[in-house]
Amino acid sequence: MSVHPQWSPGPAAWQDDLSPLPQPEWNYDRAAHLLAHAGFGGTPDEIQALTELGLDRAVEQLVHYERVANPKLQPFVESGLWDPSLGAFPDSRPEATDRAEQSGASMGVTTKPSGNRPVQPVSDRFFYWLRATMLETRRLGYWWANRMLQTTHPVEQKMALLWHGHFATHENKVRDYRKMHQQIELFERGATGNVRELTIAVARNPAMLYFLDAQYNVKGAPNENFAREVMELFTMGVGNYTERDVRECARAFTGWYFDDLTFKVDPAKHDADAKTFLGRTGNFDGVDVLEIIFEQPITAEFLAAKVYRFLVRDELSAALQQKLGTVLRDADYELKPLLTAVFKSKDFYSQASYGGHIKGPVEHMVAMLKQLGAPTVPGVPDFNQSTIAMGQHLLNPPSVAGWAGGKTWITPGLLIARGNVARDVLIPDMTGFRDWNFSAGTDDVLGQRLRDGYDIGAATAVNDPANMTAFDRVALERDEKFNTRISGYIGWEQAARNLIPTPRDAARFDLTEMVLASGATTTAEAVDYLAARTLRVPAAKPTRDALVEFLTTELGTDSLDRAQTYMEDALRMTTHLLMSTPEYQIV
Amino acid sequence: MPTKNPCNECGVSRRDLLRLGAGGLGLGLAGGLGPVPSVLAQASRRAAADSSGKILVVFEWFGGNDGLNTIVPYGDPSYYRHRPTIGIKEADVLKIDMQFGWHKSMSGTKNLYDEGKVAIVHGVGYDQPSFSHFTSMSFWHTAAPNSGNEYGWVGRTATSLDPTGARENLIVNISDSQTLAVRAEKHVPLVFSDPTKFQRGVFAQEKAVLDTLGAEVSPVGDAHRYVLEVTRSAAQASEVVRAAWSRYAEKANPDLRLLDLNKVVALIEADFPTTLYYVPLRGSLFDTHVNQAAPHDRQLQYCSDAIEGFFQEMQRIGRADDVVMYVHSEFGRRVPENTSLGTDHGTAQVNFVIGNAVKGGMYGTPPSLTELVLGDNLASTTDFRRVYATLIEDWLGTDAAAVLGQPFETLSFIEA
Repeated sequence: MSVHPQWSPGPAAWQDDLSPLPQPEWNYDRAAHLLAHAGFGGTPDEIQALTELGLDRAVEQLVHYERVANPKLQPFVESGLWDPSLGAFPDSRPEATDRAEQSGASMGVTTKPSGNRPVQPVSDRFFYWLRATMLETRRLGYWWANRMLQTTHPVEQKMALLWHGHFATHENKVRDYRKMHQQIELFERGATGNVRELTIAVARNPAMLYFLDAQYNVKGAPNENFAREVMELFTMGVGNYTERDVRECARAFTGWYFDDLTFKVDPAKHDADAKTFLGRTGNFDGVDVLEIIFEQPITAEFLAAKVYRFLVRDELSAALQQKLGTVLRDADYELKPLLTAVFKSKDFYSQASYGGHIKGPVEHMVAMLKQLGAPTVPGVPDFNQSTIAMGQHLLNPPSVAGWAGGKTWITPGLLIARGNVARDVLIPDMTGFRDWNFSAGTDDVLGQRLRDGYDIGAATAVNDPANMTAFDRVALERDEKFNTRISGYIGWEQAARNLIPTPRDAARFDLTEMVLASGATTTAEAVDYLAARTLRVPAAKPTRDALVEFLTTELGTDSLDRAQTYMEDALRMTTHLLMSTPEYQIV
Repeated sequence: MPTKNPCNECGVSRRDLLRLGAGGLGLGLAGGLGPVPSVLAQASRRAAADSSGKILVVFEWFGGNDGLNTIVPYGDPSYYRHRPTIGIKEADVLKIDMQFGWHKSMSGTKNLYDEGKVAIVHGVGYDQPSFSHFTSMSFWHTAAPNSGNEYGWVGRTATSLDPTGARENLIVNISDSQTLAVRAEKHVPLVFSDPTKFQRGVFAQEKAVLDTLGAEVSPVGDAHRYVLEVTRSAAQASEVVRAAWSRYAEKANPDLRLLDLNKVVALIEADFPTTLYYVPLRGSLFDTHVNQAAPHDRQLQYCSDAIEGFFQEMQRIGRADDVVMYVHSEFGRRVPENTSLGTDHGTAQVNFVIGNAVKGGMYGTPPSLTELVLGDNLASTTDFRRVYATLIEDWLGTDAAAVLGQPFETLSFIEA
């Protein structure tokens, strides 16, 4: 069908109104709006199916997705880079090598009994794991992106993405892809459940425990890192507790730690004495203080607003925040009633919510692939490199505060990157692509120098190894216990040997077939069809006209019938231009 | 090793070159290094016409730098009582006087100090300090402690310098996302981190259409309006930034590790019209709760070497007289070390102001290490807005009270 669905933002009077949209107001465009915000958008067929369900059943199916079969999801297949000797991984390279110099071994590797650079195997081992967990985490991000694309439960994945940014933990510090994987599974499992239970589970999650220094939070010497962030960032927001509450909260969490992937409490390190926290006094432990936090009305408002901003629009009034908080609190922190109320509300379909959300980079990438009907996330371009260029590195949020979202997703540099990623997906550089997992980056030069016959000292000289004096070389070989620069390279090589390669295929879709199937016969109809398929905010008339002219010029005709044997790349360029518009960045 | 300034050798300073304008010697020299896009030529004309040529670079050390282990009060025995394990030993201090010395990793910045180019400001903070990274930094960004402002202090300084918002690229922010400090009412800050990616990938035949995207569009709402504004800023800036970067990258000295300050050098060298550069440190290791010695040493060394290298570059291109750098964090750290061989979030911190125009020395009253406040913390002795006011008024020459909403007594670290 080439009919351009009518863009249907509701009246301004609907804003802040949580009463349900009347059934007759439901239409294709509003179904498209729902799917774009609740999930990652979809194809015209998917939107049509949702339209036909009607508002109530459409929201029911999206929110209560447990009843919907989800046949395409695949478990994560590990490359097998980890082994138990890496369990107590040192916090730093000095710690690793100091440990080895004292005991002769570290991370399952011994030092050399004699010869030059006796501690080199330990330094190499340390860097092996840094590289291995980083590379495997890239695979983990790619695997998760495929879940977002292939799922029949888009709300589940969208909410898991929210929680990942909310309870932010990054692999850079955690240095264990297994813990990151475990955490993503927790976010998926708890995506739309009870957010109090989810918060408690996060407080017991090994990645989080490590990330916020739980192992250093012990009786008599509390470490405030987790206690502060749990209140400031995870539940209440700053200004709703005192510094004393932070200290008392930290005491309640003393003794919480993890053993590899398992949560543990050490009673000897737990401070079981009375604490006074948010006006209550008792022998609280971590769960107790979380329960008290969730008794505060501000917690419900804080979390409901967070969910709303992520799904609907950046700006919301204090009055709406209060109403949403009440919905969440009345449901005892169950998320499904809140999501249902939001997705059905007049506010959700009001003018302010139409085009009020700037897509985050991961959301943007997945939405793009969904609109194109791609069955899998392509290997070219690389998923992680693409979203990093747009400002979001999955499993590596910039800090414990996660991604700020909203307008911070758009700067001149990031905006340009969005258009570039669209081009790389639509017209991938198959022959120029280089797999960054199998490149040691700036350390590649070291590999080349070693293969050219330079020794380690010369290979790691800052500038030209040929200019090193013999004296310098001898001194290096004699004095160095280990060379970390070469370890950086060797670690990468060793990790890459066992890494499961990411398939480097292009995204599979056929715009010619889509456009023809829509019934379009002219270049103008083709542009209108592609615009309706990709944009939520319609393009301005000058943009649309320029695109029609572009496509007509490229094809040498305005007749699709005439051009159908050769029009694929011109349609792809047209789509690249559509995806580079300011309108494409928002839903 | 300082590099000689070619312009000094020919008897003309960089400032003079700028004043000569587009038809003068300046562009002739630049032209010799490769093609100069016309926009760049326009940019430097604007710089010559509209500004005094003075530049402020804010180098933000997010994470909460431990000021006591940066400018070390080694002469005060109570320092070692509070920090028996992680205190910097007297032998590891680059001494300033009988009381204070630089952490040994800071030798680069100390060299500048010895040349009289660094003001150390002690005890910088504000009343009722927040111990949250994000809250405290937002206070510093807005210059509104325990309050807020829609715009940042650098953004408001831009408005004061150019009330109509006519000057393009007055603010540059080297960052993945826009820093609150630069948010401005009239100016769209130029935000980027990787100049090589600051380029629309475009096929020849697409170019004409791409250049028109976003033109003549009326916004449907606030988010749309914002994206449209940034679209226009991106279109006009990317070519200029890339040209500047690629010309710089070709001849950059590989031994200088400048962190993101290298992008500032590239733009200044290309006569970019920017007055206000804001460079938040990326991948900071300053939040040193645990085993702080090794990461703190390393982070200080990186930052200090970058500062020294940056000023070497300014010397090389003849702009050292025109640039002042300001270094701050969001708070210092607690005075006693914690049981994890680290330090927790604290209050007052040490700031640096660096440049040829700076009167080197120590400013502000060093906080007492015996009379601690708020649970083992330093009592702040200098409101951070006094440092801001000095930079705004004495360096940039605009009305600090208007920018900061109230008058603050300035410090005397800028040469009259």
